[in-house]
Amino acid sequence: MDYLLHILIMVAIYSIVSMSLNVLAGYTGLLSVSHAAFYGIGAYTTALLALNAGLPFWINIPAGIMLSGVIAFLIAWPSLRTYDDYFVITTFAFQIIVFSMLNNWVSFTGGPLGLPGIPQPEIFGIKISSHISFLIFVVTFAALTYLFLNRLMDSPFGRILKAIREDEIFTTSLGKDVMRFKLTAFVIGASIASISGSLYAYYISFIDQTSFTIMESIFILSIVIIGGAGNLKGSIVGSALLIFIPEILRFVGMPNSIAANMRQIFYGLLLVLFMMFRPQGIMGEFAFGKEGGVKEEVKKDA
Amino acid sequence: MLEVSGITKHFNGVHAVDNASLNIPQATITSLIGPNGAGKTTLFNIICGYLEADKGAVQFNGKNLNGRAPHERASAGIGRTFQNMRLIKRLTALENLMLAFMNHKGDSFIKTMAYSISRKHEVRNREKAYELLDFVGLKDKSYEPAGSLSYGQQKLLSLACCLALDAKLLMLDEPVAGVNQETISKILSLLRKLKDTSVTVFLIEHNLDAVMEISDRLIVMDEGRIIADGLPSEVREKPEVIEAYIS
Repeated sequence: MDYLLHILIMVAIYSIVSMSLNVLAGYTGLLSVSHAAFYGIGAYTTALLALNAGLPFWINIPAGIMLSGVIAFLIAWPSLRTYDDYFVITTFAFQIIVFSMLNNWVSFTGGPLGLPGIPQPEIFGIKISSHISFLIFVVTFAALTYLFLNRLMDSPFGRILKAIREDEIFTTSLGKDVMRFKLTAFVIGASIASISGSLYAYYISFIDQTSFTIMESIFILSIVIIGGAGNLKGSIVGSALLIFIPEILRFVGMPNSIAANMRQIFYGLLLVLFMMFRPQGIMGEFAFGKEGGVKEEVKKDA
Repeated sequence: MLEVSGITKHFNGVHAVDNASLNIPQATITSLIGPNGAGKTTLFNIICGYLEADKGAVQFNGKNLNGRAPHERASAGIGRTFQNMRLIKRLTALENLMLAFMNHKGDSFIKTMAYSISRKHEVRNREKAYELLDFVGLKDKSYEPAGSLSYGQQKLLSLACCLALDAKLLMLDEPVAGVNQETISKILSLLRKLKDTSVTVFLIEHNLDAVMEISDRLIVMDEGRIIADGLPSEVREKPEVIEAYIS
């Protein structure tokens, strides 16, 4: 039973982070591979504040959101001046920098030893320790994230994000400051990603740098693409699919050491198949790679 | 209304636009013609801010636009349509128009969360959008994706987007190219109506019949230079214009 609850908790955590990436990649068309970094910033902020200052979760999680948002702003400011592949590379670089910091700044982040013993969150003096209470805790955050983003993406603001994804020049010609909208979307996406990091840190109670690698970023991006870019429900379905299916490998009696490697092959295969046969994902509306990138458009018109 | 002085732009040593100056008064229709590669679209892109000129200045309503971003020029009242159709094909005709309105409180991330404010603007803009769709004759297509409209209808829709932007100057890059005769006369009559409401039109067009019919003034460009500027009937007779078109 606890095993099933564990999987559901992970699905909820990944739903939050993939929905937040969907705002960037799916709605605005900004293919970012730095989301694990923001996820990590949330996790480390929460862990460090809880361990060193003994602060409660309702301070730690917003602290992660703020820090993530500020860092996202500083990163997005220069990198959003690049387009398409170049933007992917700048986010890739940021991801590598964050990982190196977590790995090498031993006195602060614990380095490869990680940060053990993160205390469980408390609500009104009651510790959230059982799997079921954790599931409720995490699902609450996931639901709030969904409601918030759903409202946002359905609003005039969301409509502009979609317009930017489809045709940046047209959107500019209608008097919209495309740069500002992209920046806002990036900051919102990064801030929300940090929430899932905080929840992850509380749930596992131990974090180390290996959870926040570039592979993790690509995994989150896979969820968005396979679930469906530009559809929040798609991200939830994608999280469920990509977390459940590899678990099946365990039950067919595959040794753990092989199953772990099979996972990577499985994700890779799934991603390739989706890109070939259903680039818009399970429930998405936007097909990566099939629709014109910005760079080409600018050239065509100049 | 629009004053362009001494605009020069090089691309890898080639003079795309060479010392171009022109002046467009309010409530007129001016056409810019010239052979392919004459620099017409480049000049448009410079006026709208998509390209930066090497030299020269653009003034709009007495304000210098140099250094202004394209979106700022659009909000200042310069509407622009493009040669290759630019619309959000996946959104409906109505939604495309809704994108274009200025001063929508819901456009801001913070204010969009204040549902009542955003809603009020949205409802108000939707009324206006229906009026505009009616004006260009696309009301029955309001809920169809822009990508499913015919080419001529898409041209009409992009024109409507400029109007939703409340543009005082319309810069139209080939508004009637590739459109059937019926839609051409529809577009031309719309432009005349707009002129009567003191909107200024500046257009690039290769369809000379349409140009002769609608223009108050004709500007001819060749190899980056403006070689003629005046009344259509006069410009047509100039030897350098005839030569540019024949050679």
